[in-house]
Amino acid sequence: MKPSAFEYLAPETCEEALGALAEHGDDAAVLAGGQSLIPMMNLRIAAPRVLIDVMRAPELRGIGNAGGRIEIGAGVRMAQAERESGVALMTAALRHVGHPAIRNCGTVCGSVAHADPAGEVPAVLLALDGEVVLRSLRGERSVAADDFFLSYYSTAREPDELVVAVRIPSASPPRVAFREVTPRLGGSTGEFATAGVAATAEPDDLGRWRRVRIALLGVADRPVRAREAEALLTGVEPTNDAIAAAAESAATTVDPPSDVHAGPDYRRRAVRVLTTRALAEIAS
Amino acid sequence: MTRVSIEVNGTVEELDVPPRLLLADLLRDRLGLTGTKIGCAMGACGACTVLLDGAPVRACLMFSVQANGRSVRTIENLANEAGELHPLQRALREHHGLQCGYCTPGILMAIAPLLESGQPLEPDAVREAIAGNLCRCTGYDTIVDAVVEASRP
Amino acid sequence: MNDWPLYAQRRWAGKRVQRLEDPGMLTGATTYVTDVRLPRMLELAFIRSPAPNARIVSIDDEGARSVPGVRAVLGPEDLSHVHPTMDFVELDGALKTPRVTLPGDRVRYVGEPLAAVVGDDRYAAEDGADAVIVALEPLDDHEPIHDGIPGDRYFGQAAAYGDVDATFARAEHVVRRRLAFQRVVTSAIETCGIVADYDAAGEELTCYLSTQMPHLARAALAEALGLPVSHVRVICPAMGGAFGGKEVMLPEYLCAAAAAIRLRRPVRWVEDRSEALTAGAHGKEAGAELEAAFDGDGRLRAIRSRFVSDTGAYSSGIGAYVEFMVAAFTVPGLYRLDGYAYDTGGIVSHKAPLSPFRGVGMTTSQTVREVLVDDAARALGIDRMELRRRNLVADGPWQTVLGEHYEPGSWRTAFERALELIDYESFLERQAAARTDGRLLGVGVSPFVEAAGLGSAGGAGGLPGTSHDNATVSIDLSGRITVALPTFSHGQGHRTTAAQLVADMFAVAPEDVRVLDGDTARTPFGMGTFGSRSGVFIAGTVSGAGRIVRDKLLRVAEVLLEAAYEDLELVDGTVGVRGAPSRRIPLAALSGAAHFAPHVRAELGDPTLTATAFFDPPRPTHSNGTIAAVVEVDPGTGGVKIERIVVVEDCGTMLNPTIVEGQIRGGVAQGVGLALLERYVYDGAGQPQTTTLAEYLLPRATDLPTIEIEHLETPSENGTAGIKGMAEGPASATPAAVVCAVFDAIAPHSDAIHELPLRPETIAAALATP
Repeated sequence: MKPSAFEYLAPETCEEALGALAEHGDDAAVLAGGQSLIPMMNLRIAAPRVLIDVMRAPELRGIGNAGGRIEIGAGVRMAQAERESGVALMTAALRHVGHPAIRNCGTVCGSVAHADPAGEVPAVLLALDGEVVLRSLRGERSVAADDFFLSYYSTAREPDELVVAVRIPSASPPRVAFREVTPRLGGSTGEFATAGVAATAEPDDLGRWRRVRIALLGVADRPVRAREAEALLTGVEPTNDAIAAAAESAATTVDPPSDVHAGPDYRRRAVRVLTTRALAEIAS
Repeated sequence: MTRVSIEVNGTVEELDVPPRLLLADLLRDRLGLTGTKIGCAMGACGACTVLLDGAPVRACLMFSVQANGRSVRTIENLANEAGELHPLQRALREHHGLQCGYCTPGILMAIAPLLESGQPLEPDAVREAIAGNLCRCTGYDTIVDAVVEASRP
Repeated sequence: MNDWPLYAQRRWAGKRVQRLEDPGMLTGATTYVTDVRLPRMLELAFIRSPAPNARIVSIDDEGARSVPGVRAVLGPEDLSHVHPTMDFVELDGALKTPRVTLPGDRVRYVGEPLAAVVGDDRYAAEDGADAVIVALEPLDDHEPIHDGIPGDRYFGQAAAYGDVDATFARAEHVVRRRLAFQRVVTSAIETCGIVADYDAAGEELTCYLSTQMPHLARAALAEALGLPVSHVRVICPAMGGAFGGKEVMLPEYLCAAAAAIRLRRPVRWVEDRSEALTAGAHGKEAGAELEAAFDGDGRLRAIRSRFVSDTGAYSSGIGAYVEFMVAAFTVPGLYRLDGYAYDTGGIVSHKAPLSPFRGVGMTTSQTVREVLVDDAARALGIDRMELRRRNLVADGPWQTVLGEHYEPGSWRTAFERALELIDYESFLERQAAARTDGRLLGVGVSPFVEAAGLGSAGGAGGLPGTSHDNATVSIDLSGRITVALPTFSHGQGHRTTAAQLVADMFAVAPEDVRVLDGDTARTPFGMGTFGSRSGVFIAGTVSGAGRIVRDKLLRVAEVLLEAAYEDLELVDGTVGVRGAPSRRIPLAALSGAAHFAPHVRAELGDPTLTATAFFDPPRPTHSNGTIAAVVEVDPGTGGVKIERIVVVEDCGTMLNPTIVEGQIRGGVAQGVGLALLERYVYDGAGQPQTTTLAEYLLPRATDLPTIEIEHLETPSENGTAGIKGMAEGPASATPAAVVCAVFDAIAPHSDAIHELPLRPETIAAALATP
C-alpha cells in the first residue's frame, strides 16, 4: 500500500495555491490534512499527478469571529476547531471523527471538500445554515451548504477553486444535539458513522420551536435536511408526539443506500431513533 | 526529489526524498528508527503514531515533505537520554500492558502528551484516548490501568 | 507429575515476575521481521487476482520491466521448480489440493497471487505491479474448484457414540439450533512477512520469517525449494501476534525465497493490511447445526451435530480439517451425555484459504452448544443455569461419551463461582425491573474445557499427529544458563516463564537466564507454538533437560568439593555443601572445571554442561473455566454494550499468573470481536466487501469493559509441575457467553437470528420480527 508518484507543490500564499489549481485543474488534488486523501492514495484508489499542499499559506489558518459569525479557514485542523471554534454542535460532532491523532492533522474544510455522505462536518454545516467560501483566480464566491453537497464525494467546487473557509452564521444556536450510530457497540466513538443526526432549534418565549434544523448523514448520497420533519416542529411545542411524528417523517423521507454494515431498513430505523433522541435532548 | 529538513528526536535531518515517501517509511527505512510500525496504512490502527510538534499524528498518513521544517519525536526518544524509562513505559511494564509489543510504541506516543498536564486521568477517558490504537493481544484493561496510574504523581 | 520437582526451590514459579521481553518492546528496540534490513535488500509486491474463478489467459510483464526501480518480474514459469505445498494430514478419504506457488492455469479466489515484482523498494515494486497486465477468462461457477473433488467437499466424517437414534426417539423434548459462523481474519497487528537471504557461496538460505513454528517452516521451505534442511535457517526475531495466522507456508514466502536465490540479493516481502484482509489468514467460517434430546426433567441425553466448514480455495494449509474436526469433537464439552453423533466435513470454495484461529473449532462448538442449552431452558421452562447444573459433570476426572479421559478439573466449581461473581440471582431482578423501563439487559454463562498439551497420544479432534519437542539447557563458561526452545512466543512471554522455571531449578534469578527461541540454528527441533501447547511442552522439555544438566553440575561439584552428592545444594548461583556456607563454588567455576579440568572430564565422560531433552505428554491436559457476560442491548439502534465480563479460570499450576491473565484478557477481547464485530464478507460474485479496517472491525478499547478474573487451581496430573496450559478457552467461551447474553436480552426474538456476528443491524431486524 504505497502511493503512486506525484509532483508536490507547497505554495506559500493563497494566491500561489490558486495559481497552481488554475494551472493543473483536474490533474491536481488539494492536500490539507490528508487524512481522507492519503488513505485513498495508499490504496491507489486515488493517484493525482499533482498535490498542492495548502497548509503553508498563513492567511488560510485561523478561526475568525466577526459579530457572532464564525469563519474557519482551510488551514484549521479539526483538533484546533474542537478546542477553539466555540461552535457547540461542531465540537460535539468532531468528537466522533476518527481519533485524536486523525483530528490533529485533518482539517474542517478538508472534510467539507471531501464530502463523504457519512461525514460529520458536512452535516453540521448543513444544520447550522453554513456557507462554503470558494476562491479561485477568477474571484471569490460563497455557496450555501444546502447547495454545496451534490452527491457522493462530489461538490459544487470547480476544479480551479479552493475551499478557503466555512462560515457559520451563529456560533451558538440556542439548542443543539448530535447523535450518530456506528457498526460498533453502543457508545463507541471514532468509527465511520452508519447514520447520524445534527439538530438545532430555537425555543421562543412560549417554548415553541423556531428555526428547526435536522441534518442527516449516512442516509443518502450527501448530507440532507429532513425538511418535512423540520416543518412539523416549527412553531409548535416539542411534545413527545410531535417529536415522534417528526422522527417518523425523517425516517420515511430518506431512501438510504446499502453497504456492508447496514441496509436501507436499518438506516431508516436509525434515523427514527437518533432523531427522536436528539430532539428529546434539545427539548429537555 | 525534494529536500526536507526535519528535526527527528532532537537532531535535524537533511534529506532528499521523493514527495510520496510516507513519513513512516522515512523514519523506518531512511533513518533506521524501526520502533514506529506500519499496521494498516490508512490511519485505523494507530501503530504508526509519532509526535509532530508535540501532537500525536499518523506517520502512515503523512508525506515526509509535509513534515518539512517541523519536529518529529518517535518511541526511541521517549525514555530519557540516560535510558531511564518514561513513567508511562514503566507503568505499562508493571501492569503487563503489552504482550507482543507491536502496538506498544503507537500507544505510548498517542498517550504520552496527555500526561504532560499533570491532570490525573479517569479510566473511561483513557479508554477513549486509546480507542484509536488497536491491540490484538491484551484486551486493553492493563493498558488502561497503566495509563491511569502513570497519570497520578 | 503434578508435584514440583523436589530438588527445585519454588521461588520464581507462580510469581508475577515482570517480563524480560518488555524493555526492548517499550523502547522500540525490539526487531520484528518487518524491521529487518539487510544490505542490498529488494522488496516484493504481488499481482493478485481480481477475479474469484477464472482461467489465466496471459500475464504480460513487458511494461513492468521498464518501470524505474523494478529489478525482476516472477511468473509461474519462474517458480515451476518449487514443489507444491501439501498438508500432512493422513485421513482416509481426504481429497488433497496441493498448492502450486503461482498457479499458471487458473485462479480460485480474489487476491490469489499470480505474479510478483521485485523492486528497489516497495513503492517501485508496486509501480511495477501496476504495469503488469493479466488477462483472465471467467470460469463457470458450476465447475468443481479442484479436479477430483466433486461437489467441492474434500473430506467428511460421521460417527456415533452410544445409541443416539434410540435416545432421540424416546426423548421428551428435542431442541434444535443452527448458527452460521462468519468468516473472520486473525489480524495480528504485525502482518506476515519474510526477508529471504541466500548465501551462494555456502549454499545457505536464511529466512527471517514471522512464524509460530520455526522448525516446521524450515522443513517446509527446504522441501518446497529442494534444499537440504540443514542448508536452511529460519529466524524469527520477535513476532507481533499470530493467533494461528502464522502457521502456513505461504506461496508468498516461497516466492520471496526463490527470488532471493535467483537474484542473489536479500528479498523482503511485507504483507500489507489490504493483502492480509483480502488474501491472508482467514478463519472459522462454518455452518453448525445441533439438536439435543432432553428428558422431561431437563436431563440432556444426547446431541447430534452437523458442521460444514468453508475452507476456502485450498485445503492444503493447516486451517483445513482442524476447524470442522475439532468442532465435532468438542461439542460434548462438560456435559454428561449418553450419546453423541456428529457429521462433519469441509468444502473448498472461491475464497481465501482458511488458517487456524485461536480457539479453532472450539469457538463454534462452544457457542452453538451453549445457545442450544439456553434455548432448551426456555423451551422446557427451566432456569438456564439450573438446566446446566443438572447436566454439568461434577468436578474430578471423568470419561466423556467420546471416550476421552479428562484429568481432574474444577468443572462445576468454576461454573458456580462465576454465577456468584456475576450475582446471578439479583441480576434476574435487575433485568426484570429494567424491562419495565424498556431497557434490555441480558446475561450469558458459558462453562468451558480446553484440552491442551496435546502430544502424540492425544490428537486434537481425532486428527492423528505425532508430536516432537525438545529443549536444550546449557551452562556457558561464564556460568550463565541458556535454555533454547523450539516454541515461539507471539506475546505469551515464554522468555520469562521459561526463565522462571530454570531459575528455580538452578537457584538463580530469572534475569540471569537467557532464553533463546525463534532461530532454528540455535534451538532444537520442536513443533512450535499453537493449540495452547507451549506451557506444557516448555515445562516438560525444560525440566527434562534441566534435570540432566543439574545432575552433571552436581557431579562436578561432588568432585571439586569432595562431598557426597546428597549433601550438595544449589544456592544463589553456586553449588555448596548443605550446612557449610564457606564451601560453595560458583557456576562459572563449575562450568570451567567441566570443560577444562581433566579429572572432572574423566568423571563426567562429557565435558559440556549441556543437555537436550524430548517430551511428549502421555495424555492431554484439560484446563477449564467459566465466562459470564452481562450486556445491555439498545432496543432502538440494536447496539450492544457489554457491562461486565467475568472469567473464572483453572489452568492448574500457573507459572506466571500475570501472563495467564494477559492471555485471558486477550482471548476475551477476540471473543467479543467474534460475537459482535468481526466478519469478512464476500458478495455473491466472490468479491470481498471488507477489505479495509473500516469495514472489518477489530475490537477497540471502548468496545470492552474491564475484564474481571478469578483463578482456581487444580494441578494437572499430566503436565509437568501441574501445569495445564491455556489460552484458547477464554477465546472460545467468550463468544458463547456474549451471544447467550444478547439472546437473553432480546428473547424470544433471538430465535430469528441464525448467523454471527450480532451486529446492530442483525439485532434490530430480530427485534422487529414478531
